[in-house]
Amino acid sequence: MEIIVEIIINAILLSSMYVLAASGFALVLSIMGVLNFAHGAIYMVGGYACYQLAIEYGLNPWLSLFLAAGIMALFGLFLERFCFRPFYGDFFSSVIISIALIFILQTSINLTVGVHVRSLPAFVSGMFKVGGVSVSMERLFTAVIGVSLLFALTLFIRKSKTGQQMLAVAQNSEGAALQGIRIHRVAAIAMALGCALAAVAGSLMGAVFDLNTFMGDLILVKAIQVVILSGIGSIGGVLIGGLIIGTLDSVLPLYTTPAITQTIGLTIIIVLLLIRPQGLFGREMD
Amino acid sequence: MIYLATVVILAFLPIFVKSPYTYHILILTFVYITATSSLRTLAISGQVSMGHAAFMSIGAYTSAVLARYVGWSPWLTMPLGALATMLVAVLVGFPFSRVRTIYFSMVSLFFGIGILSINSIFGKYTGHINGMIGIPPLFIGSRIPYYFFFLALMVVCLIVLWRFETCRIGVCLKAIDQSREVAASIGISETKFRVLAMGVSCFVVGLVGAGYAHYNMVISYSSFNLSASINMLVYMLIGGIVSFAGPIIGTAVLFMIPEIFRQLKEYTPFLFAGILILVVFVMPQGVVGLFDQIRSLVNKKE
Repeated sequence: MEIIVEIIINAILLSSMYVLAASGFALVLSIMGVLNFAHGAIYMVGGYACYQLAIEYGLNPWLSLFLAAGIMALFGLFLERFCFRPFYGDFFSSVIISIALIFILQTSINLTVGVHVRSLPAFVSGMFKVGGVSVSMERLFTAVIGVSLLFALTLFIRKSKTGQQMLAVAQNSEGAALQGIRIHRVAAIAMALGCALAAVAGSLMGAVFDLNTFMGDLILVKAIQVVILSGIGSIGGVLIGGLIIGTLDSVLPLYTTPAITQTIGLTIIIVLLLIRPQGLFGREMD
Repeated sequence: MIYLATVVILAFLPIFVKSPYTYHILILTFVYITATSSLRTLAISGQVSMGHAAFMSIGAYTSAVLARYVGWSPWLTMPLGALATMLVAVLVGFPFSRVRTIYFSMVSLFFGIGILSINSIFGKYTGHINGMIGIPPLFIGSRIPYYFFFLALMVVCLIVLWRFETCRIGVCLKAIDQSREVAASIGISETKFRVLAMGVSCFVVGLVGAGYAHYNMVISYSSFNLSASINMLVYMLIGGIVSFAGPIIGTAVLFMIPEIFRQLKEYTPFLFAGILILVVFVMPQGVVGLFDQIRSLVNKKE
Protein backbone atom coordinates (compact mmCIF):
# COMPACT_ATOMS: atom_id res chain seq x y z
CA MET A 1 0.00 0.00 0.00
CA GLU A 2 2.68 2.43 1.08
CA ILE A 3 4.75 1.77 -2.02
CA ILE A 4 1.77 2.40 -4.31
CA VAL A 5 1.05 5.78 -2.71
CA GLU A 6 4.73 6.61 -2.90
CA ILE A 7 4.84 5.69 -6.60
CA ILE A 8 1.74 7.73 -7.38
CA ILE A 9 3.05 10.81 -5.60
CA ASN A 10 6.46 10.46 -7.21
CA ALA A 11 4.87 10.03 -10.62
CA ILE A 12 2.75 13.15 -10.17
CA LEU A 13 5.74 15.07 -8.82
CA LEU A 14 8.06 14.12 -11.66
CA SER A 15 5.39 14.51 -14.33
CA SER A 16 4.37 17.96 -13.13
CA MET A 17 7.99 19.13 -12.96
CA TYR A 18 8.69 17.77 -16.44
CA VAL A 19 5.60 19.45 -17.79
CA LEU A 20 6.47 22.76 -16.10
CA ALA A 21 9.91 22.68 -17.67
CA ALA A 22 8.71 21.32 -20.99
CA SER A 23 5.80 23.70 -21.48
CA GLY A 24 8.12 26.70 -21.69
CA PHE A 25 10.31 24.83 -24.15
CA ALA A 26 7.25 23.84 -26.18
CA LEU A 27 5.82 27.38 -26.16
CA VAL A 28 9.07 28.86 -27.46
CA LEU A 29 9.51 26.11 -30.03
CA SER A 30 6.01 26.25 -31.44
CA ILE A 31 5.55 30.02 -31.31
CA MET A 32 9.00 31.23 -32.33
CA GLY A 33 10.36 28.16 -34.11
CA VAL A 34 13.40 28.41 -31.87
CA LEU A 35 14.93 25.26 -30.40
CA ASN A 36 16.02 26.74 -27.10
CA PHE A 37 18.75 24.49 -25.73
CA ALA A 38 19.35 27.06 -23.02
CA HIS A 39 16.04 26.17 -21.39
CA GLY A 40 17.77 23.72 -19.07
CA ALA A 41 20.28 26.38 -18.09
CA ILE A 42 17.44 28.82 -17.39
CA TYR A 43 15.84 26.21 -15.15
CA MET A 44 19.15 25.81 -13.32
CA VAL A 45 19.66 29.56 -12.93
CA GLY A 46 16.10 29.87 -11.61
CA GLY A 47 16.90 27.34 -8.91
CA TYR A 48 20.10 29.18 -8.00
CA ALA A 49 18.33 32.54 -7.96
CA CYS A 50 15.86 31.14 -5.46
CA TYR A 51 18.73 29.69 -3.40
CA GLN A 52 20.57 32.99 -3.42
CA LEU A 53 17.50 34.95 -2.32
CA ALA A 54 16.45 32.47 0.35
CA ILE A 55 19.85 31.65 1.85
CA GLU A 56 22.10 34.65 1.23
CA TYR A 57 19.47 37.37 1.66
CA GLY A 58 17.42 35.41 4.16
CA LEU A 59 14.07 35.95 2.50
CA ASN A 60 11.03 33.79 3.03
CA PRO A 61 11.34 30.73 0.74
CA TRP A 62 7.93 31.36 -0.83
CA LEU A 63 8.77 34.99 -1.50
CA SER A 64 12.11 34.04 -3.00
CA LEU A 65 10.42 31.42 -5.20
CA PHE A 66 8.09 34.14 -6.45
CA LEU A 67 10.94 36.61 -6.94
CA ALA A 68 13.09 34.05 -8.76
CA ALA A 69 10.22 33.40 -11.17
CA GLY A 70 9.88 37.16 -11.71
CA ILE A 71 13.60 37.63 -12.32
CA MET A 72 13.68 34.81 -14.84
CA ALA A 73 10.59 36.20 -16.57
CA LEU A 74 12.43 39.51 -17.04
CA PHE A 75 15.43 37.58 -18.28
CA GLY A 76 13.13 35.79 -20.73
CA LEU A 77 11.89 39.13 -22.07
CA PHE A 78 15.50 40.23 -22.52
CA LEU A 79 16.38 36.98 -24.31
CA GLU A 80 13.43 37.21 -26.66
CA ARG A 81 14.17 40.81 -27.62
CA PHE A 82 17.94 40.69 -28.02
CA CYS A 83 18.85 37.07 -28.70
CA PHE A 84 16.02 35.28 -30.45
CA ARG A 85 13.98 37.97 -32.22
CA PRO A 86 16.55 38.43 -35.01
CA PHE A 87 16.44 34.69 -35.73
CA TYR A 88 12.77 33.67 -35.84
CA GLY A 89 12.47 30.35 -37.61
CA ASP A 90 16.19 30.28 -38.30
CA PHE A 91 16.93 26.90 -36.80
CA PHE A 92 20.75 26.92 -36.90
CA SER A 93 21.32 30.47 -35.71
CA SER A 94 18.99 30.01 -32.77
CA VAL A 95 20.70 26.74 -31.86
CA ILE A 96 24.08 28.48 -31.80
CA ILE A 97 22.71 31.39 -29.75
CA SER A 98 21.15 29.03 -27.22
CA ILE A 99 24.39 27.04 -26.91
CA ALA A 100 26.29 30.27 -26.33
CA LEU A 101 23.73 31.07 -23.62
CA ILE A 102 24.36 27.71 -21.94
CA PHE A 103 28.09 28.49 -21.78
CA ILE A 104 27.44 31.96 -20.35
CA LEU A 105 24.88 30.90 -17.76
CA GLN A 106 26.73 27.79 -16.55
CA THR A 107 30.06 29.55 -16.29
CA SER A 108 28.52 32.54 -14.53
CA ILE A 109 26.95 30.31 -11.90
CA ASN A 110 30.17 28.30 -11.53
CA LEU A 111 32.16 31.50 -10.99
CA THR A 112 29.74 33.24 -8.64
CA VAL A 113 28.09 30.54 -6.54
CA GLY A 114 30.71 27.84 -7.04
CA VAL A 115 30.69 24.32 -8.36
CA HIS A 116 29.62 22.65 -5.12
CA VAL A 117 26.24 21.02 -4.81
CA ARG A 118 23.79 23.25 -2.95
CA SER A 119 20.49 22.43 -1.39
CA LEU A 120 17.50 24.67 -0.99
CA PRO A 121 15.64 24.57 2.33
CA ALA A 122 12.46 22.56 2.25
CA PHE A 123 9.43 24.72 1.55
CA VAL A 124 7.33 22.50 3.79
CA SER A 125 8.78 20.03 6.24
CA GLY A 126 7.51 17.02 8.12
CA MET A 127 5.65 13.88 7.27
CA PHE A 128 2.02 13.39 6.58
CA LYS A 129 0.15 10.31 7.76
CA VAL A 130 -2.99 8.95 6.17
CA GLY A 131 -4.27 5.57 7.30
CA GLY A 132 -0.85 4.21 8.24
CA VAL A 133 0.78 5.51 5.08
CA SER A 134 3.38 8.19 5.72
CA VAL A 135 4.17 10.61 2.94
CA SER A 136 6.77 13.33 2.77
CA MET A 137 4.93 16.64 3.01
CA GLU A 138 7.49 18.29 0.79
CA ARG A 139 6.97 15.93 -2.09
CA LEU A 140 3.22 16.13 -1.72
CA PHE A 141 3.26 19.92 -1.67
CA THR A 142 5.61 20.12 -4.63
CA ALA A 143 3.31 17.83 -6.57
CA VAL A 144 0.28 19.93 -5.57
CA ILE A 145 2.00 23.17 -6.58
CA GLY A 146 3.08 21.65 -9.86
CA VAL A 147 -0.39 20.37 -10.69
CA SER A 148 -2.11 23.63 -9.74
CA LEU A 149 0.35 25.65 -11.82
CA LEU A 150 -0.37 23.37 -14.74
CA PHE A 151 -4.11 23.93 -14.30
CA ALA A 152 -3.50 27.68 -14.20
CA LEU A 153 -1.38 27.46 -17.35
CA THR A 154 -3.97 25.38 -19.19
CA LEU A 155 -6.71 27.77 -18.11
CA PHE A 156 -4.60 30.74 -19.23
CA ILE A 157 -3.97 29.24 -22.64
CA ARG A 158 -7.54 28.01 -23.20
CA LYS A 159 -9.50 30.94 -21.78
CA SER A 160 -7.51 34.16 -21.91
CA LYS A 161 -7.14 36.26 -25.04
CA THR A 162 -3.35 36.12 -24.93
CA GLY A 163 -3.45 32.36 -24.57
CA GLN A 164 -5.71 32.06 -27.60
CA GLN A 165 -3.32 34.31 -29.51
CA MET A 166 -0.47 31.99 -28.52
CA LEU A 167 -2.34 29.01 -29.90
CA ALA A 168 -3.05 30.91 -33.10
CA VAL A 169 0.60 31.86 -33.56
CA ALA A 170 1.67 28.30 -32.81
CA GLN A 171 -0.67 27.00 -35.49
CA ASN A 172 0.23 29.49 -38.19
CA SER A 173 2.23 32.60 -37.41
CA GLU A 174 1.63 34.33 -40.75
CA GLY A 175 -2.08 33.78 -40.57
CA ALA A 176 -2.08 35.04 -37.00
CA ALA A 177 -0.18 38.18 -38.03
CA LEU A 178 -2.77 38.81 -40.76
CA GLN A 179 -5.49 38.68 -38.10
CA GLY A 180 -3.79 41.54 -36.29
CA ILE A 181 -2.07 39.51 -33.59
CA ARG A 182 1.24 41.09 -32.61
CA ILE A 183 3.54 38.11 -32.96
CA HIS A 184 6.51 39.64 -31.18
CA ARG A 185 4.39 40.57 -28.17
CA VAL A 186 2.94 37.05 -27.98
CA ALA A 187 6.41 35.54 -28.35
CA ALA A 188 7.78 37.79 -25.59
CA ILE A 189 4.98 36.76 -23.25
CA ALA A 190 5.52 33.08 -24.10
CA MET A 191 9.25 33.36 -23.47
CA ALA A 192 8.74 35.17 -20.15
CA LEU A 193 6.12 32.62 -19.09
CA GLY A 194 8.34 29.72 -20.10
CA CYS A 195 11.33 31.08 -18.19
CA ALA A 196 9.21 31.79 -15.09
CA LEU A 197 7.80 28.25 -15.12
CA ALA A 198 11.28 26.83 -15.60
CA ALA A 199 12.49 28.87 -12.63
CA VAL A 200 9.64 27.57 -10.45
CA ALA A 201 10.39 23.99 -11.53
CA GLY A 202 14.10 24.55 -10.86
CA SER A 203 13.48 25.92 -7.38
CA LEU A 204 11.04 23.17 -6.43
CA MET A 205 13.32 20.44 -7.75
CA GLY A 206 16.24 22.14 -6.01
CA ALA A 207 14.39 21.76 -2.72
CA VAL A 208 13.33 18.15 -3.25
CA PHE A 209 16.68 17.07 -4.70
CA ASP A 210 19.86 19.16 -4.99
CA LEU A 211 21.08 22.14 -6.93
CA ASN A 212 24.07 21.71 -9.19
CA THR A 213 25.19 23.45 -12.34
CA PHE A 214 24.50 20.42 -14.52
CA MET A 215 20.94 19.80 -13.38
CA GLY A 216 19.76 21.68 -16.47
CA ASP A 217 21.17 19.11 -18.88
CA LEU A 218 19.02 16.32 -17.48
CA ILE A 219 15.80 18.33 -17.48
CA LEU A 220 16.59 19.63 -20.97
CA VAL A 221 16.71 16.08 -22.30
CA LYS A 222 13.47 15.29 -20.46
CA ALA A 223 11.81 18.44 -21.80
CA ILE A 224 12.86 17.58 -25.35
CA GLN A 225 11.56 14.03 -24.85
CA VAL A 226 8.21 15.32 -23.62
CA VAL A 227 7.87 17.87 -26.42
CA ILE A 228 8.87 15.46 -29.16
CA LEU A 229 6.66 12.70 -27.77
CA SER A 230 3.64 14.99 -27.70
CA GLY A 231 4.51 16.64 -31.00
CA ILE A 232 5.77 20.08 -31.90
CA GLY A 233 3.03 22.69 -32.12
CA SER A 234 0.72 20.97 -29.67
CA ILE A 235 0.79 22.77 -26.35
CA GLY A 236 -1.98 20.72 -24.76
CA GLY A 237 -0.24 17.48 -25.69
CA VAL A 238 2.68 18.39 -23.45
CA LEU A 239 0.52 17.49 -20.43
CA ILE A 240 -0.01 13.94 -21.66
CA GLY A 241 3.57 13.58 -22.88
CA GLY A 242 4.87 14.74 -19.50
CA LEU A 243 2.57 12.34 -17.67
CA ILE A 244 3.84 9.39 -19.76
CA ILE A 245 7.53 10.23 -19.32
CA GLY A 246 7.14 11.12 -15.64
CA THR A 247 5.30 7.88 -14.88
CA LEU A 248 7.90 5.83 -16.75
CA ASP A 249 10.68 7.58 -14.85
CA SER A 250 9.11 6.98 -11.48
CA VAL A 251 7.96 3.38 -11.97
CA LEU A 252 10.79 1.77 -13.96
CA PRO A 253 13.68 2.58 -11.58
CA LEU A 254 12.00 0.36 -8.96
CA TYR A 255 12.58 -2.67 -11.15
CA THR A 256 15.73 -1.94 -13.13
CA THR A 257 18.84 0.20 -13.16
CA PRO A 258 18.75 3.87 -14.24
CA ALA A 259 20.62 3.04 -17.45
CA ILE A 260 18.01 0.49 -18.53
CA THR A 261 15.22 2.92 -17.56
CA GLN A 262 16.69 5.54 -19.82
CA THR A 263 17.18 3.08 -22.65
CA ILE A 264 13.58 1.90 -22.42
CA GLY A 265 12.22 5.46 -22.35
CA LEU A 266 14.29 6.52 -25.34
CA THR A 267 13.44 3.36 -27.28
CA ILE A 268 9.73 4.00 -26.77
CA ILE A 269 10.07 7.53 -28.13
CA ILE A 270 12.23 6.53 -31.09
CA VAL A 271 9.82 3.74 -32.04
CA LEU A 272 6.86 6.08 -31.68
CA LEU A 273 8.54 8.69 -33.86
CA LEU A 274 9.24 6.08 -36.51
CA ILE A 275 5.58 5.04 -36.57
CA ARG A 276 4.25 8.58 -36.23
CA PRO A 277 7.00 11.00 -37.34
CA GLN A 278 5.17 14.09 -36.07
CA GLY A 279 4.67 12.89 -32.49
CA LEU A 280 1.42 12.03 -30.73
CA PHE A 281 -0.46 15.29 -31.35
CA GLY A 282 1.90 17.26 -33.56
CA ARG A 283 2.04 18.49 -37.10
CA GLU A 284 4.77 18.03 -39.69
CA MET A 285 7.39 20.76 -39.67
CA ASP A 286 9.42 21.90 -42.66
CA MET B 1 45.78 24.58 -53.89
CA ILE B 2 45.21 25.97 -50.41
CA TYR B 3 44.40 22.48 -49.14
CA LEU B 4 47.59 21.07 -50.63
CA ALA B 5 49.69 23.88 -49.15
CA THR B 6 48.13 23.37 -45.71
CA VAL B 7 48.80 19.64 -45.79
CA VAL B 8 52.42 20.20 -46.86
CA ILE B 9 52.98 22.75 -44.10
CA LEU B 10 51.43 20.38 -41.55
CA ALA B 11 53.57 17.51 -42.83
CA PHE B 12 56.79 19.46 -42.29
CA LEU B 13 55.71 20.88 -38.95
CA PRO B 14 57.56 18.28 -36.79
CA ILE B 15 60.87 19.81 -37.94
CA PHE B 16 60.05 23.04 -36.13
CA VAL B 17 57.70 22.17 -33.29
CA LYS B 18 58.84 20.01 -30.41
CA SER B 19 56.23 20.51 -27.69
CA PRO B 20 54.15 17.33 -27.12
CA TYR B 21 51.21 19.45 -25.97
CA THR B 22 51.00 21.13 -29.38
CA TYR B 23 50.85 17.71 -30.99
CA HIS B 24 48.10 16.63 -28.65
CA ILE B 25 46.00 19.63 -29.62
CA LEU B 26 46.74 19.17 -33.33
CA ILE B 27 45.84 15.47 -33.19
CA LEU B 28 42.54 16.27 -31.47
CA THR B 29 41.90 18.94 -34.10
CA PHE B 30 42.47 16.38 -36.86
CA VAL B 31 40.12 13.91 -35.16
CA TYR B 32 37.37 16.47 -34.82
CA ILE B 33 37.87 17.92 -38.31
CA THR B 34 37.30 14.43 -39.72
CA ALA B 35 34.31 13.78 -37.48
CA THR B 36 32.70 17.14 -38.17
CA SER B 37 33.20 16.79 -41.92
CA SER B 38 31.43 13.45 -41.79
CA LEU B 39 28.58 15.20 -39.99
CA ARG B 40 28.28 17.51 -42.99
CA THR B 41 27.86 14.52 -45.29
CA LEU B 42 24.55 13.90 -43.53
CA ALA B 43 23.72 17.59 -43.39
CA ILE B 44 23.81 18.08 -47.17
CA SER B 45 20.60 16.08 -47.42
CA GLY B 46 19.04 18.19 -44.68
CA GLN B 47 19.51 15.73 -41.83
CA VAL B 48 21.37 17.40 -39.01
CA SER B 49 22.51 14.75 -36.58
CA MET B 50 22.70 15.65 -32.90
CA GLY B 51 24.04 12.30 -31.83
CA HIS B 52 27.05 11.89 -34.03
CA ALA B 53 29.42 11.46 -31.11
CA ALA B 54 27.48 8.30 -30.24
CA PHE B 55 28.44 6.78 -33.60
CA MET B 56 32.01 7.77 -32.80
CA SER B 57 31.65 5.90 -29.51
CA ILE B 58 30.45 2.74 -31.29
CA GLY B 59 33.64 2.69 -33.33
CA ALA B 60 35.79 3.54 -30.34
CA TYR B 61 34.29 0.97 -27.97
CA THR B 62 34.09 -1.82 -30.54
CA SER B 63 37.72 -1.42 -31.45
CA ALA B 64 38.79 -0.97 -27.83
CA VAL B 65 36.89 -4.02 -26.57
CA LEU B 66 38.20 -6.24 -29.39
CA ALA B 67 41.77 -5.11 -28.85
CA ARG B 68 41.68 -5.22 -25.07
CA TYR B 69 39.71 -8.39 -24.35
CA VAL B 70 40.15 -10.48 -27.49
CA GLY B 71 43.71 -9.34 -28.00
CA TRP B 72 43.63 -8.53 -31.69
CA SER B 73 45.97 -5.96 -33.16
CA PRO B 74 44.65 -2.37 -33.10
CA TRP B 75 45.38 -2.17 -36.83
CA LEU B 76 42.80 -4.90 -37.39
CA THR B 77 40.23 -3.74 -34.84
CA MET B 78 40.09 -0.15 -36.09
CA PRO B 79 38.56 -1.03 -39.47
CA LEU B 80 36.32 -3.53 -37.66
CA GLY B 81 35.14 -0.74 -35.37
CA ALA B 82 34.41 1.42 -38.40
CA LEU B 83 32.52 -1.46 -40.05
CA ALA B 84 30.48 -2.04 -36.89
CA THR B 85 29.58 1.64 -36.82
CA MET B 86 28.55 1.49 -40.45
CA LEU B 87 26.46 -1.60 -39.81
CA VAL B 88 24.59 0.06 -36.94
CA ALA B 89 24.20 3.22 -39.01
CA VAL B 90 22.73 1.35 -41.96
CA LEU B 91 20.39 -0.62 -39.68
CA VAL B 92 19.04 2.50 -38.00
CA GLY B 93 19.34 4.44 -41.25
CA PHE B 94 16.35 2.67 -42.82
CA PRO B 95 13.84 3.76 -40.18
CA PHE B 96 15.62 7.08 -39.52
CA SER B 97 15.36 8.15 -43.15
CA ARG B 98 11.61 8.52 -42.60
CA VAL B 99 11.94 11.30 -40.05
CA ARG B 100 12.98 14.69 -41.34
CA THR B 101 14.38 18.05 -40.29
CA ILE B 102 14.02 18.77 -36.59
CA TYR B 103 12.55 15.33 -35.90
CA PHE B 104 15.65 13.67 -37.32
CA SER B 105 17.80 15.87 -35.11
CA MET B 106 15.75 14.81 -32.11
CA VAL B 107 15.70 11.11 -32.98
CA SER B 108 19.46 11.15 -33.43
CA LEU B 109 19.81 13.02 -30.15
CA PHE B 110 17.79 10.35 -28.33
CA PHE B 111 19.70 7.65 -30.17
CA GLY B 112 22.93 9.23 -28.95
CA ILE B 113 21.81 9.25 -25.33
CA GLY B 114 20.39 5.73 -25.74
CA ILE B 115 23.70 4.38 -27.05
CA LEU B 116 25.45 5.76 -23.99
CA SER B 117 22.90 4.15 -21.67
CA ILE B 118 23.31 0.83 -23.46
CA ASN B 119 27.01 1.32 -23.06
CA SER B 120 26.68 1.76 -19.33
CA ILE B 121 24.52 -1.39 -19.08
CA PHE B 122 27.64 -3.26 -20.21
CA GLY B 123 29.63 -1.32 -17.64
CA LYS B 124 31.61 -4.42 -16.69
CA TYR B 125 33.48 -4.20 -19.98
CA THR B 126 33.28 -0.51 -20.71
CA GLY B 127 34.46 0.52 -17.27
CA HIS B 128 31.32 2.30 -15.98
CA ILE B 129 31.56 6.03 -15.49
CA ASN B 130 35.32 6.07 -14.94
CA GLY B 131 36.02 5.00 -18.47
CA MET B 132 37.78 2.10 -20.07
CA ILE B 133 41.50 1.87 -19.44
CA GLY B 134 44.35 -0.21 -20.81
CA ILE B 135 43.46 0.06 -24.48
CA PRO B 136 46.44 -1.10 -26.57
CA PRO B 137 48.20 1.81 -28.28
CA LEU B 138 48.90 2.03 -32.01
CA PHE B 139 52.47 3.23 -31.60
CA ILE B 140 54.77 3.03 -28.62
CA GLY B 141 56.46 6.19 -27.43
CA SER B 142 56.24 9.65 -28.87
CA ARG B 143 53.31 11.46 -30.39
CA ILE B 144 54.98 12.13 -33.76
CA PRO B 145 53.85 8.85 -35.44
CA TYR B 146 50.33 9.51 -34.16
CA TYR B 147 50.52 12.98 -35.61
CA PHE B 148 51.35 11.65 -39.07
CA PHE B 149 48.84 8.85 -38.75
CA PHE B 150 45.96 11.18 -37.92
CA LEU B 151 47.07 13.71 -40.54
CA ALA B 152 47.02 10.95 -43.17
CA LEU B 153 43.71 9.60 -41.88
CA MET B 154 42.18 13.07 -42.02
CA VAL B 155 43.41 13.72 -45.56
CA VAL B 156 42.19 10.35 -46.83
CA CYS B 157 38.79 10.71 -45.13
CA LEU B 158 38.36 14.25 -46.40
CA ILE B 159 39.16 13.17 -49.96
CA VAL B 160 36.64 10.34 -49.68
CA LEU B 161 33.97 12.65 -48.29
CA TRP B 162 34.76 15.28 -50.95
CA ARG B 163 34.44 12.68 -53.71
CA PHE B 164 31.22 11.40 -52.16
CA GLU B 165 29.77 14.89 -52.07
CA THR B 166 30.72 15.90 -55.58
CA CYS B 167 29.80 12.66 -57.34
CA ARG B 168 26.30 11.78 -58.47
CA ILE B 169 25.25 10.56 -55.01
CA GLY B 170 26.07 13.90 -53.41
CA VAL B 171 24.11 15.77 -56.07
CA CYS B 172 21.14 13.48 -55.46
CA LEU B 173 21.37 14.16 -51.72
CA LYS B 174 21.33 17.90 -52.34
CA ALA B 175 18.31 17.43 -54.60
CA ILE B 176 16.52 15.55 -51.80
CA ASP B 177 17.30 18.42 -49.44
CA GLN B 178 15.84 21.02 -51.79
CA SER B 179 12.63 19.17 -52.58
CA ARG B 180 12.08 15.55 -51.84
CA GLU B 181 8.89 15.44 -53.95
CA VAL B 182 10.71 16.65 -57.06
CA ALA B 183 13.62 14.34 -56.31
CA ALA B 184 11.25 11.40 -55.95
CA SER B 185 9.52 12.31 -59.22
CA ILE B 186 12.78 11.98 -61.18
CA GLY B 187 13.55 8.63 -59.61
CA ILE B 188 15.81 9.50 -56.71
CA SER B 189 15.01 7.12 -53.86
CA GLU B 190 15.12 9.09 -50.63
CA THR B 191 15.61 6.07 -48.38
CA LYS B 192 18.39 4.57 -50.49
CA PHE B 193 20.49 7.72 -50.66
CA ARG B 194 19.94 8.67 -47.04
CA VAL B 195 21.02 5.21 -45.88
CA LEU B 196 24.05 5.44 -48.15
CA ALA B 197 25.01 8.84 -46.74
CA MET B 198 24.48 7.53 -43.22
CA GLY B 199 26.71 4.52 -43.90
CA VAL B 200 29.58 6.53 -45.39
CA SER B 201 29.38 9.27 -42.77
CA CYS B 202 29.32 6.81 -39.88
CA PHE B 203 32.09 4.66 -41.33
CA VAL B 204 34.35 7.70 -41.28
CA VAL B 205 33.32 8.81 -37.82
CA GLY B 206 33.63 5.25 -36.47
CA LEU B 207 37.13 4.92 -37.95
CA VAL B 208 38.31 8.16 -36.45
CA GLY B 209 36.64 7.29 -33.15
CA ALA B 210 38.50 3.97 -33.07
CA GLY B 211 41.73 5.79 -33.84
CA TYR B 212 41.04 8.21 -31.02
CA ALA B 213 40.50 5.30 -28.59
CA HIS B 214 43.90 3.82 -29.45
CA TYR B 215 45.58 7.20 -29.27
CA ASN B 216 44.12 8.27 -25.94
CA MET B 217 44.23 4.72 -24.47
CA VAL B 218 41.43 5.77 -22.10
CA ILE B 219 37.88 6.36 -23.27
CA SER B 220 34.92 7.39 -21.19
CA TYR B 221 31.33 8.42 -21.80
CA SER B 222 32.16 12.08 -21.39
CA SER B 223 34.02 12.05 -24.71
CA PHE B 224 30.89 10.96 -26.54
CA ASN B 225 27.97 12.48 -24.63
CA LEU B 226 25.38 14.99 -25.74
CA SER B 227 27.69 17.95 -25.37
CA ALA B 228 30.30 16.24 -27.57
CA SER B 229 27.66 15.83 -30.29
CA ILE B 230 26.51 19.40 -29.84
CA ASN B 231 30.12 20.61 -30.01
CA MET B 232 30.54 18.90 -33.36
CA LEU B 233 27.35 20.54 -34.58
CA VAL B 234 28.62 23.92 -33.39
CA TYR B 235 31.97 23.45 -35.16
CA MET B 236 30.10 22.75 -38.37
CA LEU B 237 27.64 25.63 -38.02
CA ILE B 238 30.33 28.14 -37.05
CA GLY B 239 32.47 27.17 -40.01
CA GLY B 240 29.52 27.33 -42.35
CA ILE B 241 27.22 24.53 -43.35
CA VAL B 242 27.07 25.55 -47.02
CA SER B 243 30.68 24.79 -47.90
CA PHE B 244 32.91 21.73 -47.64
CA ALA B 245 35.60 23.88 -46.01
CA GLY B 246 33.11 24.99 -43.33
CA PRO B 247 33.58 22.16 -40.80
CA ILE B 248 37.35 22.24 -41.32
CA ILE B 249 37.68 25.96 -40.69
CA GLY B 250 35.10 25.95 -37.90
CA THR B 251 36.83 23.13 -36.00
CA ALA B 252 40.27 24.67 -36.49
CA VAL B 253 39.11 28.10 -35.29
CA LEU B 254 37.21 26.85 -32.27
CA PHE B 255 40.05 24.49 -31.27
CA MET B 256 42.81 27.05 -31.67
CA ILE B 257 41.25 30.09 -30.04
CA PRO B 258 40.88 28.61 -26.53
CA GLU B 259 44.52 27.46 -26.80
CA ILE B 260 45.73 30.95 -27.74
CA PHE B 261 43.86 32.50 -24.83
CA ARG B 262 44.79 29.81 -22.34
CA GLN B 263 45.54 32.26 -19.52
CA LEU B 264 41.82 33.04 -19.32
CA LYS B 265 41.33 29.67 -17.56
CA GLU B 266 37.81 29.39 -16.20
CA TYR B 267 36.64 32.38 -18.24
CA THR B 268 37.26 30.48 -21.51
CA PRO B 269 33.56 29.53 -21.95
CA PHE B 270 32.75 33.26 -22.08
CA LEU B 271 35.22 33.64 -24.94
CA PHE B 272 33.66 30.64 -26.65
CA ALA B 273 30.18 32.08 -26.23
CA GLY B 274 31.38 35.45 -27.46
CA ILE B 275 32.74 33.89 -30.64
CA LEU B 276 29.48 32.04 -31.24
CA ILE B 277 27.38 35.17 -30.79
CA LEU B 278 29.75 37.23 -32.94
CA VAL B 279 29.62 34.68 -35.74
CA VAL B 280 25.84 34.43 -35.63
CA PHE B 281 25.33 38.18 -35.79
CA VAL B 282 28.17 39.17 -38.15
CA MET B 283 28.60 36.12 -40.37
CA PRO B 284 25.24 34.45 -41.00
CA GLN B 285 26.88 32.00 -43.42
CA GLY B 286 29.57 31.00 -40.93
CA VAL B 287 33.26 31.86 -41.05
CA VAL B 288 33.43 30.62 -44.65
CA GLY B 289 30.86 33.24 -45.56
CA LEU B 290 33.27 35.90 -44.34
CA PHE B 291 35.72 35.02 -47.11
CA ASP B 292 32.96 35.39 -49.69
CA GLN B 293 31.96 38.73 -48.22
CA ILE B 294 35.56 39.99 -48.39
CA ARG B 295 35.89 38.69 -51.93
CA SER B 296 32.76 40.48 -53.09
CA LEU B 297 33.95 43.69 -51.37
CA VAL B 298 37.30 43.49 -53.15
CA ASN B 299 35.60 42.84 -56.48
CA LYS B 300 33.33 45.83 -55.97
CA LYS B 301 36.28 48.17 -55.43
CA GLU B 302 37.92 47.04 -58.61
